[in-house]
Amino acid sequence: MAETMVKSPAIEVSFIDEVCSIPGGEAIRSCIQCGMCTGSCPTASRWDYPPRKAIAMVRAGLRKELLSSNSMWFCASCYTCTVRCPRDIKPADIMHALEVLAIRDGLSTKRSRTPVMYKCFVDSAKGNGRVYELGMMLKFFLRTNPFAALKMAPVGLGLFLHKRLPLKPNRIKGVGELKAILNEAKALGGAK
Amino acid sequence: MEPKIGVYICHCGTNIAGTVDVEAVTEFARQLPFVTVARNYTYMCSDPGQDLIRQDIKELGLNRIVVAACSPLMHERTYRRVCQESGLNPYLFEMANIREHCSWVTEDREAATEKAKALVSAAVRRVYYQEPLETKEVPVNPNTLVVGGGIAGIQAALEIAGAKHKVYLVEREPSIGGHMSQLDKTFPTLDCSACILTPKMSDVGSHPYIELMSYSEVAEVSGYVGNFKAKIKKKARYVDVDKCTGCGECTNACPVEVPNEFDLGLGQRKAIYRPFPQAVPNVFAIDKRGYPPCRVACPAGVNAQGYVALISQGKFKEALEVLRRTMPFAGVCGRVCTHPCESECERGKVDEPVSIRSLKRFMADYELSVGREKATPIERTKEDKVAVIGSGPAGLGCAYDLIREGYPVTVFEAAPQGGGLLRWGIPEYRLPKKVLDNEISYVEELGVEIKTNTPVKNLEEIFNQGYQAIFLATGAGISQKMGIPREDAKGVIHALDFLKQAGLGIKVDLGERVAVIGGGNAAVDAARVAKRLGAKEVSIVYRRSRAEMPAVSTEVDEAEREGVKLHILAAPVRVLAKDDRVTAIQCIRMELGEPDASGRRRPVPIEGSEFDMDVDSVIMAIGQGVDKAMLPQELEYTGGGTLVVDPVTLQTNIEGVFAGGDVVSGPADVIAAVAAGKEVAISIDRYLRGVDLKEGRPTPIKRVKEVSKEGVEAKARQAMPRLDPEKRGGFAEVELGFDEKAAIDEAKRCLNCGVCSECMECIKACEPEAINQEMEDEYEEIEVGNIIIATGYDAFDPSPLYHYGYGRLDNVITSLEFERMINASGPTAGEVLLKDGSHPRTVGIIHCVGSRDEKYHEYCSQVCCMYSMKFGHLIREHVPGAQVTEFYIDLRCVGKAFEEFYNRVLDEGTIFVRGRPGEVTDLAESPEEEGKLIIIGEDTLIGRQRRIPVDMVVLSTALEPRADAEEVARLFSISRSADGFFLEKHPKLDPVATMSDGIFVVGCCQSPKDIPHSVAQASAAAARALAMISAGSIEIEAATAVVDEELCSGCKICSDLCPFHAISFDEEKKVSRINDALCKGCGVCVAACPSGAITGRHFTVDELMAEIEGALV
Repeated sequence: MAETMVKSPAIEVSFIDEVCSIPGGEAIRSCIQCGMCTGSCPTASRWDYPPRKAIAMVRAGLRKELLSSNSMWFCASCYTCTVRCPRDIKPADIMHALEVLAIRDGLSTKRSRTPVMYKCFVDSAKGNGRVYELGMMLKFFLRTNPFAALKMAPVGLGLFLHKRLPLKPNRIKGVGELKAILNEAKALGGAK
Repeated sequence: MEPKIGVYICHCGTNIAGTVDVEAVTEFARQLPFVTVARNYTYMCSDPGQDLIRQDIKELGLNRIVVAACSPLMHERTYRRVCQESGLNPYLFEMANIREHCSWVTEDREAATEKAKALVSAAVRRVYYQEPLETKEVPVNPNTLVVGGGIAGIQAALEIAGAKHKVYLVEREPSIGGHMSQLDKTFPTLDCSACILTPKMSDVGSHPYIELMSYSEVAEVSGYVGNFKAKIKKKARYVDVDKCTGCGECTNACPVEVPNEFDLGLGQRKAIYRPFPQAVPNVFAIDKRGYPPCRVACPAGVNAQGYVALISQGKFKEALEVLRRTMPFAGVCGRVCTHPCESECERGKVDEPVSIRSLKRFMADYELSVGREKATPIERTKEDKVAVIGSGPAGLGCAYDLIREGYPVTVFEAAPQGGGLLRWGIPEYRLPKKVLDNEISYVEELGVEIKTNTPVKNLEEIFNQGYQAIFLATGAGISQKMGIPREDAKGVIHALDFLKQAGLGIKVDLGERVAVIGGGNAAVDAARVAKRLGAKEVSIVYRRSRAEMPAVSTEVDEAEREGVKLHILAAPVRVLAKDDRVTAIQCIRMELGEPDASGRRRPVPIEGSEFDMDVDSVIMAIGQGVDKAMLPQELEYTGGGTLVVDPVTLQTNIEGVFAGGDVVSGPADVIAAVAAGKEVAISIDRYLRGVDLKEGRPTPIKRVKEVSKEGVEAKARQAMPRLDPEKRGGFAEVELGFDEKAAIDEAKRCLNCGVCSECMECIKACEPEAINQEMEDEYEEIEVGNIIIATGYDAFDPSPLYHYGYGRLDNVITSLEFERMINASGPTAGEVLLKDGSHPRTVGIIHCVGSRDEKYHEYCSQVCCMYSMKFGHLIREHVPGAQVTEFYIDLRCVGKAFEEFYNRVLDEGTIFVRGRPGEVTDLAESPEEEGKLIIIGEDTLIGRQRRIPVDMVVLSTALEPRADAEEVARLFSISRSADGFFLEKHPKLDPVATMSDGIFVVGCCQSPKDIPHSVAQASAAAARALAMISAGSIEIEAATAVVDEELCSGCKICSDLCPFHAISFDEEKKVSRINDALCKGCGVCVAACPSGAITGRHFTVDELMAEIEGALV
């Protein structure tokens, strides 16, 4: 992420309107760039663009650069930024809005595995109405790094021994209704 | 006369004409009824515009004018003046607002034009009905009230007084000076705040035209511009402002130290204090918050806080004097009192109550150890002799009070020595006789005559001897019987008899095994005495559980320690005897049932659980009763065998004969008996002076409501040194008492709940006799023409911002605390110090704490950037080489020489980090951070998170409206803006006036601002007030309400509602009447009048209906 001169072709001025139109993104215009969010963020040191800067980039129209960064994927949803923001913006919600945009436009970074995890989670939950942990994790590791599964094996075993990792998926009542809800959400513009 | 209306439509440049088709509106207006002429013009308010109207009035003979332009708030006055100048009554003019209400609120030209037409039509139809009204003039009172003595109030007062007009300056605190007096240097010039403020303060203090009312508040305001009445509450400062010379001797004498508010609690001050040395007026004030809970809890009202405070200062003799103002028994009560004071002690809410009783004992011990001077006999100023019968605590307590009132008092005692149950009932190891003797001697030395071996049975005889009043304090001296079989067997002895014999040294043969029946102090005393007399096995048999034992619990502990056994939940059912001599006692086990009348759970026998205890003697300690045989027969008794007295006056059924103590209450504690004696003393004094016994009697005192425990560190009470249980064979005293150091340490634990302890040391110290502890709040009414409000601001409390650690982490302080710290006259004498007393090497200053934050205050506090930079400069000046980092969001250096000051601190080396830090923590992540405060935040200019370790964090806190701003706003009928500060009349063009004429707001009560702006506003408001004063009179709005007396039903609804007290009631005609000078034309009465008798001039029904109809075209 070299600091280069920002020139007009890179700028998409409508980016801020786009973020504003997503639930959670409305308040972005009132940001005073004080840095309280980044200052309070436990993971910001790993972000390509920490939260304050991410918001500045939305306003600067650096859409592609931001959406293809790892930034929002590192948001752990601890909401400390949201609690402390002096302008009552909800930076965590804005990060989630950016995630939606990144997935929708296929810009989500390969450098973060969080998008894959989200997908595996949603897929698993969609089928059964609740997450089938074993299946979800297998799928996730297959898609990212199968060898990483070995490292996680002791954790999995521990969970299994404490009856926290069922071998068979568990299906809720009325899966059909849940699917209808999810389809509706998708039609409203949620991530695919 | 036929109406001839002229309509004038203003373009207001493009403000109106840009949206409204003014030509179309003009054309429309021409068609309206009675319109003679309609014109439009670019700027109707300009001179040529005004001339148009003037000319038409003159040439066309117009007699009604409508101008369609901006809001009447802007230019109604202008056009009314135009009319007046042209010979037309100004109330025949009407304004249609086609700018704020029309062109500015839409972009739709067509709709705007339609609305403009409707508004013009409404105005034209309304003006048809308007009538000429006459304005009135009222004189202006030349005096001015300035509320608040900070720099703004001081400035306003000096300006007006400088013009030789009287100013009342009301200040809530004991001194004027406000926040500015707390500051060290002032930005950007760095001149010393005190150096530039104190000359002005002393000008105020000595100005012949300024009446300074310090320590006062405005309680009520009525009236109207030019003629206000204000009621000023002058809070009792307990120091005569005219007599006090400000020498400070009182403060030296005062034993009470509390956190000094002026130093934000960083330093201490005394209960009698002045906030700072340059105070104006240079007069002390006593901080009295109310009565301390210990004093309220004491039945006798002993001023415990008073003597505890003096002990804490090592003034032991003076402390004893405080106690002796109430009663003579320091040594006695210091040992045997049940200390209700300690149960109520606020310190108990922090850790443990102060050992008040032991401190009281200490004073007596101290006096005995250094030797007591013989007391000076009190002069008999009264002639009526009083007889007290019984020399126990009640009798002596009463005699003590009466002798000090100047009455000749004689105490009649049946026993060979005085003291009553104190002597016969309490064993030596608990209350040494020499202590009791000392205190009785003291009472005698004052002049009380105690006639021992003198039983009294016939009251008539006493009266015949010339005594005018009698106090019966004969106690409850006979032991009660249990009523169980063989209770009269040999070896069964009653506790009081036993204790008395033991006390007299008479040998009592108890045998080896002793059972004591009962759970009170007499039982425990008897058991411990029995043990001391050589009994091997002593048991206390008590029918309830240990928690319910009425005896003092530490005494029970000591008894157990000495080997006394407790048989709780057991009651004797019969005494077993052989040859009339006790051999055993049969008991039954009990269990606790439902609570009884005393609130304690009733013991219920368990059937079949009887058991025998082999004993050699039994001591019965189940209660005492009144010995009727010893009292005159004509007295009335209750069912319980005690005397009947009036609950308030304690008078018996015989006039002039009073009774109190155990003889009335049944067996109770010493302090209750003293209290009863004192109460009787009041009654006897009143009786002898011929004053009604009940009316006007002193009422019980009320305890102080809230006691701050902020910053009080837990510290356990001093342990009472006790005699080793193994050495307790004889009757040596068990509790050994505090030494001086322990006493002082213990006394210092007192929280000084009432602040002033009323020890009266200040009175002794004050040479000019300026102190009056009895002072009360006073009210004064003043009349003024103008009021200037300069009540200032409160500093924001940053505790809610948990992540910044204020109040949680050491060395996180607020900006105002820092100001006090860096001030040469502050608590650290200008040293910037950490908690451990060292100088900080690194300091972080966080801007915008509580400001620019929607959770607290959305506004910018305007001064924090500048004072924070000033701190940067001062820290480096006070601690050379210190590194200062300022954390800011935006730097606002907008003012003369402000930017230059920023450049200066930059050059000096202060580091600026742009970003509001996320948090301050003491959790170190690296060795460099160890022992430091770490500021975590984003340096937004490099776009990275940083952890910056510092020694001290200063929070630049917001300025916020005073906590009572709402009450003040209501008091003066002014408004507040959304931020809570007082609302000015116009933010740009009338920034010091309010919507209430004659009331001005200046300084930080209007919005946060720096000193130059506050001073400028103050001068501006002063100029406004002076303008009114020099005009001498002001015009009053003619649009007032008027009552049609024919229609008025006299219901008075209107007069109750009128916010300006303008409506009075004519009792003769039974109608309401409105005072034109007071009426503001608000219309409340018009709307409220059920019979429609009130008309608002200029807002008549005809006018309003026509206006509505016009708008509906």
